Amino acid sequence: MSKTTQAPKALRGVGNFIDDRFHLAKTGEKNLRKVFPNHWSFMLGEIALYSFIILLLTGVFLTLWFKPSMAEIVYDGSYERLQGVEMSEAYASTLYIDFDVRGGFLVRQIHHWAALIFVASLVVHALRVFFTGAFRKPREINWLIGVAIFAIAMIEGLFGYSLPDDLPSGMGVRILQGVMLALPVVGTYISMFLFGGEFPGDVIIARLYMLHILLLPAILLALIVAHFMILWHQKHTQYPGTGKSNRTVVGTPMWPGFAIKAGGFFFFTFAVIAGLSGFVQINPIHLFGPFTPTSITSGLQPDWYMGFMEGALRIFPNTLDFQIFGYAVPVAVLVPGLGAMGLLFGVMGVWPFLEAWITGDKRAHNVADRPRNAPVRTGLGVAAVVAYGVLWLAGSNDILSETFSINLYLTTYIFRVLFIVGPIVAFIVTKRICLGLQRRDRETLEHGYESGTIRQLSGGEFVEVHKESSQDTVDVLQSKPTITSTALVEDTDDKGVENPEARKAKGRFRRALAHWYTKDNVSVDDVEPHSGHHLHHSESESSGAH
Amino acid sequence: MKWITARRRHPLAGYAVVILALALFGVGYAALAPTSDQAQAQTLAAEAPSPDDVDIAEGKTVFDQTCASCHGLDGSGSDTGPDLREVGSAAIDFQVSTGRMPSVNPDVQMPRRDMVMSEQDLDHLIAYYNAEIRDGESGADVPYGIPGSAPQPEDFEPNRADYDSEEAFDEAEEEAHTEYEAALAEYEAAYDEYIEGADDTEMGMQLYLTNCAHCHGWSGGGGALTDGRWAPEIHEATPREIYEAMVTGPGAMPMFNDMVITSDEKQELISYVKTLQAEPNAGGIFDLERVGQVAEGFISWTIGLALIVACAIWITAKQRAHD
Amino acid sequence: MTDNSNDKNRAEGPERVLGTPSESSEERAVAAVSATDAAHEGPYPASETHAHPEEQQRRGERIAAVWFVLAFLGGVGFLVSYFLFPPNAQGTPAIADPQIAQYSNMLLGGSLTLAMFGIGAGMTVWARNVMPHYEVSSPYDELPSSEEEKGSFGAFFMRGADESGITKRPLMRRTLIAAMLPLGLAPIVLLRDTGPLPGDKLKNTIWADGMRMVVEGTDRQIKAEDLENAPNGMISALPDPGGHGGEEGHGDGGHHLSLNEKAKSVILLIKIPEADYKPGMNENVEGDQSRLNWTYDGIVAYSKICTHVGCPAALYERTTHRILCPCHQSTFDAADGAKVVFGPAHRPLPQLPIGVDDEGYLIATGDFPEAPGPTFWDYAKD
Repeated sequence: MSKTTQAPKALRGVGNFIDDRFHLAKTGEKNLRKVFPNHWSFMLGEIALYSFIILLLTGVFLTLWFKPSMAEIVYDGSYERLQGVEMSEAYASTLYIDFDVRGGFLVRQIHHWAALIFVASLVVHALRVFFTGAFRKPREINWLIGVAIFAIAMIEGLFGYSLPDDLPSGMGVRILQGVMLALPVVGTYISMFLFGGEFPGDVIIARLYMLHILLLPAILLALIVAHFMILWHQKHTQYPGTGKSNRTVVGTPMWPGFAIKAGGFFFFTFAVIAGLSGFVQINPIHLFGPFTPTSITSGLQPDWYMGFMEGALRIFPNTLDFQIFGYAVPVAVLVPGLGAMGLLFGVMGVWPFLEAWITGDKRAHNVADRPRNAPVRTGLGVAAVVAYGVLWLAGSNDILSETFSINLYLTTYIFRVLFIVGPIVAFIVTKRICLGLQRRDRETLEHGYESGTIRQLSGGEFVEVHKESSQDTVDVLQSKPTITSTALVEDTDDKGVENPEARKAKGRFRRALAHWYTKDNVSVDDVEPHSGHHLHHSESESSGAH
Repeated sequence: MKWITARRRHPLAGYAVVILALALFGVGYAALAPTSDQAQAQTLAAEAPSPDDVDIAEGKTVFDQTCASCHGLDGSGSDTGPDLREVGSAAIDFQVSTGRMPSVNPDVQMPRRDMVMSEQDLDHLIAYYNAEIRDGESGADVPYGIPGSAPQPEDFEPNRADYDSEEAFDEAEEEAHTEYEAALAEYEAAYDEYIEGADDTEMGMQLYLTNCAHCHGWSGGGGALTDGRWAPEIHEATPREIYEAMVTGPGAMPMFNDMVITSDEKQELISYVKTLQAEPNAGGIFDLERVGQVAEGFISWTIGLALIVACAIWITAKQRAHD
Repeated sequence: MTDNSNDKNRAEGPERVLGTPSESSEERAVAAVSATDAAHEGPYPASETHAHPEEQQRRGERIAAVWFVLAFLGGVGFLVSYFLFPPNAQGTPAIADPQIAQYSNMLLGGSLTLAMFGIGAGMTVWARNVMPHYEVSSPYDELPSSEEEKGSFGAFFMRGADESGITKRPLMRRTLIAAMLPLGLAPIVLLRDTGPLPGDKLKNTIWADGMRMVVEGTDRQIKAEDLENAPNGMISALPDPGGHGGEEGHGDGGHHLSLNEKAKSVILLIKIPEADYKPGMNENVEGDQSRLNWTYDGIVAYSKICTHVGCPAALYERTTHRILCPCHQSTFDAADGAKVVFGPAHRPLPQLPIGVDDEGYLIATGDFPEAPGPTFWDYAKD
């Protein structure tokens, strides 16, 4: 301890000043010692956090010049091509940012790329959490906060996309208004109130601007802080391995290891976004031209994260629309426009509780599942990804139709079929793959791993030499939990009396679900590591081959 | 291979493969992605060819050989080709100069390709059409005042067989080259004059965005129609071809005659879209073909997120505990 | 920070006497350091710290330094790039020239990328090659409090509540709840003035009997004969309420209409050979007026705004007479009363009744029979 550098005097001064007022030395050290498990997939949420910081920084810069006004002016700015064109002040001020403010073009592109990557990283982060079961107790609330962040981020992005008042962005608002109008009874009122009158009116951009730069970011920031503090308090989940258990976390401590790594990662994230923004043109509003409600372009798309909703609007058939006492209920707008979003976030929000109800699992989990070890959950997750992906692709069916010369209507029919069939096939295939991987794990546990070295036995037969797995691998494989459900065992209580709940419809339904959830499972409980016959002779023979 | 075999079980092998794949993808994309200076095959402003320069008999030969099998010897059409008598010479010029006619397969929509005959033959063909097939003044005339295709060097090249000596041929080649340069300069001047002659961006923009963009896209990138048809991209289309398409309505395209949109107004429209297409990409050299949000979303996942994840993999890659 | 206070609460909770050894492993770990390996200098036990050999550390330092120097150059480059391209002076566009803007954007973006990536890479090399590799164990906190603690909390809370009277004095409790209720509604009521009530606003447009129409963009009024020699013509048009004043044939519709009016009243004029009209055109739309009565000389006018969610449906194919909406591919048959033939839209595009006035100009002979634009709850009600 003696050779440790003394903290510099200035730093000690600041430290003492703060500690005199807050008594933080002990808590501070405890937090510097916080341990973070090491895996690249645990950094996905950080991408979202860093993109969000970049969005805040660049967004503030953009507000210095942007005018959220729909007043019609005749453009007389520096960008020559559009001089003399009628446009809103919002569009003109965006042109000003692009062509009069040095670096303005870059910052606007950074803002847009960062937004795309922000939502993309939210998605992959959520998928990582889902597939590893990291949403389970005690982290359900943080999962719900994450779902809320995802939902608000999408709306935040949609509103931001609408602000420059260029041709595609105005159409996004138009579609939003069309969906709103479809709401039974209250639709026209909501639309009138939001737009301050009819579409497009002259206040919608100012209102979306307020939501985009004040209300929604404030909520997002609050949720992100809460998300992060809960993570900090509960500590991160970890993958199974030697020494890792539900009681002990192993990883890099905050100080100095993780702080430097996470800090470096911020710069990487910024670098990639800056690189894209410097060289790849995004949303060139100066080329699109200003919005008018009477113009439209082919290939019109929203930003990618609204694509699944756009696709749902495209492929949902109109046959379910109906009228009741002369009032119209456009189901083909309501279901895809609002139902798709509701379904996505609803299912995400409910799943942790549904799974816990099926399995009756009330334990706290700090070791993440390997996706293969929860085949039904993984299968359902992949099925949901496929359903989402089909809708997403359907949202660009005109581009696909043109690019690959497929009949436009045919793409619609294909996507309708795929939306039903795709997830089912995906579920079955994924589950089979999971079980196959489980069997391979069992094999590896028993016999060691295939070394890639081929040996000829004295009898002339060729065999691949199996080597003993490392202790870490053995621990990972042996950590496989057996999926069970209390619904399957609590038929009778300890006195032999049947649980009356289990006989009711709800109980039977739960038992059926539990059976379905748990029935396929490759057990490793009876396996002795390295008990296979290949192992011992190959170990001795191949020791020199490496 | 041995080197790879020995290392494929290395803890970093998986990451290495991912990074390598990403790098290849990135380089491949950069190599394949078009740059902004897409060759503008352009256009020639010329007067109508004088009657002395065209040969109606030659035109008949061209017609009988390349057109008559579908459109009939008298141009009255057949099961495989429509009646040509009322379409006007602008339609003939449009279809042939964009390479859509003669069609390889009359049952499907033809994409744009290089013209199969020479400019000279097309002039003969149009002369023959006007003289023998066209029903009076019906249809629209070729708008010769509007810049068409740029002169091609091949059209000026002398034929070696016509010259006795190597020197004479070289001299002729040199001369042809000068001639070509002059023609090109003249053409470019006429092109610029036509494009810059428009001065009402507002009108051109509104006309284009309300009547064209819904099929051809905001930058003329094209778009999907029903039944497997598509609205072609119009980057390579010359001002004259755009004009001809508007007045003749090729394929499923509706007509925009000179009464509804006058020729001056069409100049505004054409100037708007051509200026837009020639606009450099202020946001960087990769414009993603100006496809827009679909391409941007694709890149944000495949390049953006993938590169960031690659960095995360580098940061967290397993370190052998005791080396 | 709530977690800090939680930690503090736990550390100084009443169940533990201050000064007694804590159970937290951090402190155990510190104790272990002094016990097992007094010579080890690092913050974490030697068993959890895997230091790199000095040679690797030296190499790491050099590589990290190279990255940081590159980042420094990138940062300087960013500043230089900023001043390299001047902003627009009077009459001389600099970055307003898209080509210059591109250079500026790429230099700024490229140098910023270099600066950021250099710092990131340098820090990563530092963390991976200079700094030891740590594999520190630490316990997860036991989450549920002990039954005793929970019981104590509950009892304490209820004792307080009882003493406050909230549980025992229902009159006070209920009137307090009643007092809150109207205030809960206040924010919703306050939003009432964000816009007018819908009324009939969405159902009517400015189209009226006798109103001429102009080509959108050129603002020239259209005569029926203009479409005469375009047997398959189409044009996007707007009403011209200014009407007859001004120079001959030149309206001012486009420039005087508000965006709201344009959004509702824009039409697609299509000239269809009359033989192509389908039986659907004979059905009566209003009174004894058939759809065909509402055309003139083969010219038919439909609202351009899709009845699905309101994109301009303008993609007209003259060969099939289909009008396709490029947003969601609703398809309407222009020769058959704009009936929906494909896609998510449910009702036809409303048809505008048209005719000509005595000067031969195309005019509307009334408003749309029903609301144009996206379908809403009471669109069909008068």
